[in-house]
Amino acid sequence: MNDHLVAAEHEDWRLFLKKARANRSFQAGAIITLLIVAVATISLVWTPYDVSRLAIPERLQGPSGAHWFGTDHFGRDIVSMIMEGSRNSIAVALIAVGIGMVIGVPLGCWAAAKRGWIDEVFMRTSDIIFAFPALLSAVMITAIFGPGAVNAIIAIGIFNIPVFARVARGAALSLWPREFILAARASGKGPARITAEHILPNIANLLLVQGTIQFSLGILAEAGLSYVGLGAQPPATSWGRMLAEAQTMMAIAPQMAIAPGAAIIVTVLGLNLLGDGLRDVLDPKLRRQR
Amino acid sequence: MLAYTAHRLLIVLVTLLVASAVVFFVLEIVPGDPARLMLGLNATDDAVAALREQMGLNQPVLTRYFAWLAGMARGDFGESLTYSVPVTELIADRVIVSLPLALLALGLSTAIAIPVGIFTAARRGTRADTAAMAGTQLGIAIPNFWFALLLVYVFAVTLQWVPAGGFPGWDDGVWPGLRALILPAIALALPQAAILARVARSALLETLAEDYIRTARAKGLPANRVLWRHALRNAMIPVLTILGLQFAFLLAGTIIIENVFFLPGLGQLVFQAINQRDLIVVEGVVVLLVATVVIVNFLVDLAYAWADPRLRRR
Amino acid sequence: MTAPILAIDTLDLTIGGAPILKGVDMVVEAGKVHALVGESGSGKSMTALTTMRLLPHGAEASGTLRFGDEDLLAATEERMCALRGDDIGMVFQEPMTALNPVKTIGEQVAEGIRWHTGANRPDAEERAAHMLERVGLPHTRFPLDRYPHELSGGQRQRVVIAIACALRPKLLIADEPTTALDVVLQAQILDLLKELVSEDGMGLILISHDLGVVADMADDITILRHGVVQEAGHAVDVLRHQNHPYTQQLAEASAHVPQWQSRARSPKDTALLDVQNLVKDYPGPRNGLLARGDPFRAVDDVSFSVPPGRSVGLVGQSGCGKSTLARIVLALDKPTGGAISFDGMQTSSLNDHDAQMALARREMQVVFQDPYGSFNPRQTVERLVAEPLHLEERPLGRAERRERIVFALEEVGMPADAMHRYPHEFSGGQRQRLAIARAIITRPKLVVCDEPVSALDVSIRAQILDLFAKLNDELGLAYLFITHDLTVARAITHEVMVMDHGKIVERGATADVLDDPQTEAAQRLVAAAPDLRRAIERRVGNTVPPSPRERGEGAPS
Repeated sequence: MNDHLVAAEHEDWRLFLKKARANRSFQAGAIITLLIVAVATISLVWTPYDVSRLAIPERLQGPSGAHWFGTDHFGRDIVSMIMEGSRNSIAVALIAVGIGMVIGVPLGCWAAAKRGWIDEVFMRTSDIIFAFPALLSAVMITAIFGPGAVNAIIAIGIFNIPVFARVARGAALSLWPREFILAARASGKGPARITAEHILPNIANLLLVQGTIQFSLGILAEAGLSYVGLGAQPPATSWGRMLAEAQTMMAIAPQMAIAPGAAIIVTVLGLNLLGDGLRDVLDPKLRRQR
Repeated sequence: MLAYTAHRLLIVLVTLLVASAVVFFVLEIVPGDPARLMLGLNATDDAVAALREQMGLNQPVLTRYFAWLAGMARGDFGESLTYSVPVTELIADRVIVSLPLALLALGLSTAIAIPVGIFTAARRGTRADTAAMAGTQLGIAIPNFWFALLLVYVFAVTLQWVPAGGFPGWDDGVWPGLRALILPAIALALPQAAILARVARSALLETLAEDYIRTARAKGLPANRVLWRHALRNAMIPVLTILGLQFAFLLAGTIIIENVFFLPGLGQLVFQAINQRDLIVVEGVVVLLVATVVIVNFLVDLAYAWADPRLRRR
Repeated sequence: MTAPILAIDTLDLTIGGAPILKGVDMVVEAGKVHALVGESGSGKSMTALTTMRLLPHGAEASGTLRFGDEDLLAATEERMCALRGDDIGMVFQEPMTALNPVKTIGEQVAEGIRWHTGANRPDAEERAAHMLERVGLPHTRFPLDRYPHELSGGQRQRVVIAIACALRPKLLIADEPTTALDVVLQAQILDLLKELVSEDGMGLILISHDLGVVADMADDITILRHGVVQEAGHAVDVLRHQNHPYTQQLAEASAHVPQWQSRARSPKDTALLDVQNLVKDYPGPRNGLLARGDPFRAVDDVSFSVPPGRSVGLVGQSGCGKSTLARIVLALDKPTGGAISFDGMQTSSLNDHDAQMALARREMQVVFQDPYGSFNPRQTVERLVAEPLHLEERPLGRAERRERIVFALEEVGMPADAMHRYPHEFSGGQRQRLAIARAIITRPKLVVCDEPVSALDVSIRAQILDLFAKLNDELGLAYLFITHDLTVARAITHEVMVMDHGKIVERGATADVLDDPQTEAAQRLVAAAPDLRRAIERRVGNTVPPSPRERGEGAPS
C-alpha cells in the first residue's frame, strides 16, 4: 500500500513545485532565506577575517577589495561581523517562533475544541497580553532579568504565543462546523483525535505562513533589543549591536550603518516574500474546488 | 448599541485590573532586593532596612498592591525613588513629547497608507500597483531605528535642515518643538504606513470580490463609484483594527526611536527607570501605556459598531 | 409576436483561453419569460454575465448581443453603466450576500434611481418605498432604514428584485433567483417575478436548473449543455414532446423514481430508532450585559420512530428544525429534553466515552449535503472511507481493513483503486458515493441523510437515488432522509414526516401525505413544490398561468 501512498504524495509534491515555479515572490523569498541560512552556517567554520582580533591601524576603512564593506572603528572586517551576527539574529528569532508555536498552537486548538468558558478565558487572557506593548515589555523583561540572548528569546517568544494561539484558534473554529469534522464526530472520534487528524493538517499551511511572518518580526525585534544593548552581549556580535556602534560613528563613518541595516532588510524582506509566496502556493487546498 | 458599549466597557475594566496585577506581581518577583539594588553593594544593612521601611516593602504583598491600586485610582502613582518627585509629574513631563510624536506618526502613516491602499486596489495588477507593493515590502522590512539613523545622517548631519536630536520643549511655541519631532515621526510612520497600506489594499480587494459589489455594478454604477460608495466602508474594519494596534505600538515603540533622537519621552523615562531600578516609575508608565492600549482598542470596538450595523444590535 | 428585446447571435466566450460558450443563439421577447436551462458548467450564468458585461477578468466574448438597436458587446463601458440598472436589471442567486451589509435597504434601492434619473434624495426614496411596496415589503412593516441583516433570505431577495426593477427595465435577468430559498419562498418569489413581468411588460431571462420551475414559468426555453444550445423553442412544447435526447434525459432525471424492490414492503413492528418528546432550546441573543433574549425552541416536543429497514423522510421549510433534529439523533448535539433510544440503547443519556456509544455510532451513520465539504482534503480516500472503522470493538488487521474498504467502495459503485486518490480528484457525484461508502462501512442499521442530493445536478441526483434504493434493498438499511425536495421524498421514502416550526405536524405513508396533505403546513409545502408533469398538464389544459392563490400563497416571509 505504501508505494501507492507515496505516489499520491509525490503527486501532491509535484503540484506544489509546479505552483512554486510560477510564483516569483516565493522563489525570491526562498532563495534569499536559503542564502542567509547558508551564510550563517558557513560562519560557524569560516569567516574572511577573525572578528575577535582588533586591528586598530586598519580601522574605519571604506569598501575595498580586501574589505567589501570596509572596517569598523576597531578595524574589524564588517562582512565577517555580518556573517557572525546572522547566527544570533536567526537563532533568537527562530527559537522565539518555536516557543510561540509549541505553546500557542495547542492552546488555540484546545480553546477552539472546547468553546464555552475555556475559550472565553483564553480570549480575554490573550487580550491582556496584547494590551502590553510588545517592545516595551521585551525591554522590561530583558532589563529586569538581565540582558542577553536567552532573555531576548524568552521576551520575544512570550509575545509569539498569543499570536499563534489566535491564528490556530481562528482557523480551527472555522473548521469545526465543517461536514467532514461532523462526520468524524459521528464516527465517535474525540476532540483530541479530531484535532490531530483533521484540524492540524488543515491549518498547518496557515501556521507555516504565520511562522515566517513572526520569524521576520523576531529578526526586527532582536535587532531593536540588541541596538539598545539588551540583546546579544559582547563578545558575541549581532546586527543590532553593530548599528548601535555605528550610531556614534555616524558623522565620520556612515558606511558602518549601511551593511548591518541592509542585512536586516534583506533578511526580513526575504522572509516576508517567502511567507507571501507560501500563502499563495499552499492556499487553494483548503478552499472548495468548484 | 448601549448593551454593546456596556459589555465592551466591562471587558476594558477587567482587562485593566488584571493587567495592573500582572505588572505589579512581575516586578515583585524581580530578583534581588530593590532597596539594596538602589543603594548599591556598599550600603550598610541599616540604610537598606531604613529604605525598605520607607518604601513600605515590609508590608504584605497584597496590602501593598491594593494601596498602589487605590493610589492610582486617585491619580497618585507614588513617588519616584531616584528623582524624589511624584511619578505623575514625571509622566506629565514626558507625555507632552511622546503623545504628539505618536499622534504625528499615526497621522502621517494614515495619510500615506490609505490613499496608497485605495489607489493600488483600484488599479490592481497594473505596473503602478506592483511598484507600490514592492515599495511596501521594503518598507515593512526596514527597522525604524535604522531608518532613523539614515534620516539623521541625511537631513540633520549632511543637509542640516533639522536638529539631529534633543527636544527644545513647547515653551518657545509650537514650531521648534514640532521641528524636533518631524524626523522621529517619519522614521516611526513609514514602516507602519507600509503595513497599513497592504492591509487596506487587501481588505479592499476582498470586499470588491463580494456579491453585493456585483449587485451595485448591476445597478449601473461605474467601478470607481462602487469602490468609494460600497467597498470602502466595508473594508474599514480590518483597517481600523490595525490602526488601533499601531497607536499602541507607536506610543510604546517610541522607546527606541527616542533613544536615537535623544528625546525626553516616556520611552526614555521607562528605560532609565528600569536601569535605575526605579520600580515605582516603571509600574506607573507601564500601567499608563497598557491603559492607553486598552482604551484605544475600546474606541476601535465602538468604531466597528459605527462601521458595521450588524454589531449595533449586540 | 412582439419585437425581440435581446437577440444573442453566435455568442462565443472563452475565459483564460478555455471555451465556455460556443455559438449560443437566443432571442428574448418583451413581456415573455425565457428560461435558460442547464446543469452546472453549462454556461448559463456566463451567458447572463456576458449580457451584463460583468464578466470576470480574462474573459473574451465574440458574436453579437443585439439589445434594441445596439450591440452590447460593442458598447463602451460608459454606455453599459447607463444601461445596467436602468434598461437591464439583474437578480442573483444568493440573497444573503447580494446586499451591502452597511447600507440600509432604502439607500440601496434609491441609489440606482438617483444615479440614473438624477432625482434628489427624497424623490428617489419615495420611488424606492413605492418599489419596495410592489415587491411585497410595505414601508409600514419594512421602513427604508432597515439594514439587510434585519431581513430574512426571502425578504432580501425581494429587495434585490426591487433594486433590479426600480427603473422598469426592458430586460430582467434572474440567475437562479430561488435556488437558495426553500420551496414555499421559491413559489412566492417566482410569482412576484411573473407579476412584475406582466405588469411592466419586460422580458425576463430566468436561469434555472429546475425543469419543474421552468415548466411552470417559462414561455420560451433554451437548453444549454457544455456551452452549446441543445434545444430551443416554446417551453411547453419542448418539455412536453422532449424531442431532443438531452431534453429527454434531463426531464427523466428530474422526475426520476428508482427501481426499488422494498418500496412496497410493509414495516416491521419494532422500532430501530425511537424518539420521545424531544426538545431542543438554543439560548436567545445576548441583549444586555448579562441578560439574554428568550431561548429559541428549534425542536418542540417531537416524537417518532423508525422501524428497521424503513426509509422515513423528514420534510419542511428551511429553519423548521429538521437539521437540528438530525444532529440530535446522531448525538452530535445534546437535547434539552426528551429521550432517544436506538437499537435498545438510550443514546440521549450516553456520553461520548461510553462503550455503548461506540456501539450506537457504529450502527448509525450519516451522509451530508455538501459533497465538497464532507471530506478532509488532506487524506486519501482509503483513510476517509475507513474513518468509522475505529469504532469496531477489536482492531482490524490490515488485510481485513482493506477488504472492508474495497467492499464498501464496490457497494457504492466505485473502483477499488479509488482508495489511493484524494477527494479533490473526484466529481461531486463520485464524492457523494464515497460519503455513502464511509457511511456503510461499519454495516450500520440506520443512515441519517441530511439533504444528500440537493447539491447535485439532476442526472447525478438520479444515480445517487438509485444507489440509496439499492442499498436499502441489499443491506436493509433504514434511512432518516431529510430533504426539502418533495420529488426526492417521493422517490426514496416509505413514509414522510412534515416538520413546521420545530414540531412534526403530519406523518404517514409518503404517497398519502404528498397526494392528500391534511395540515396547513403540509398543504403549503405540496402546493409550492415545483413538479414538471403537473405543470405541463396544467398549462396544456389551461394556458393561463396559475395565480398565486392556487399555490396557497401566504404572507411574504
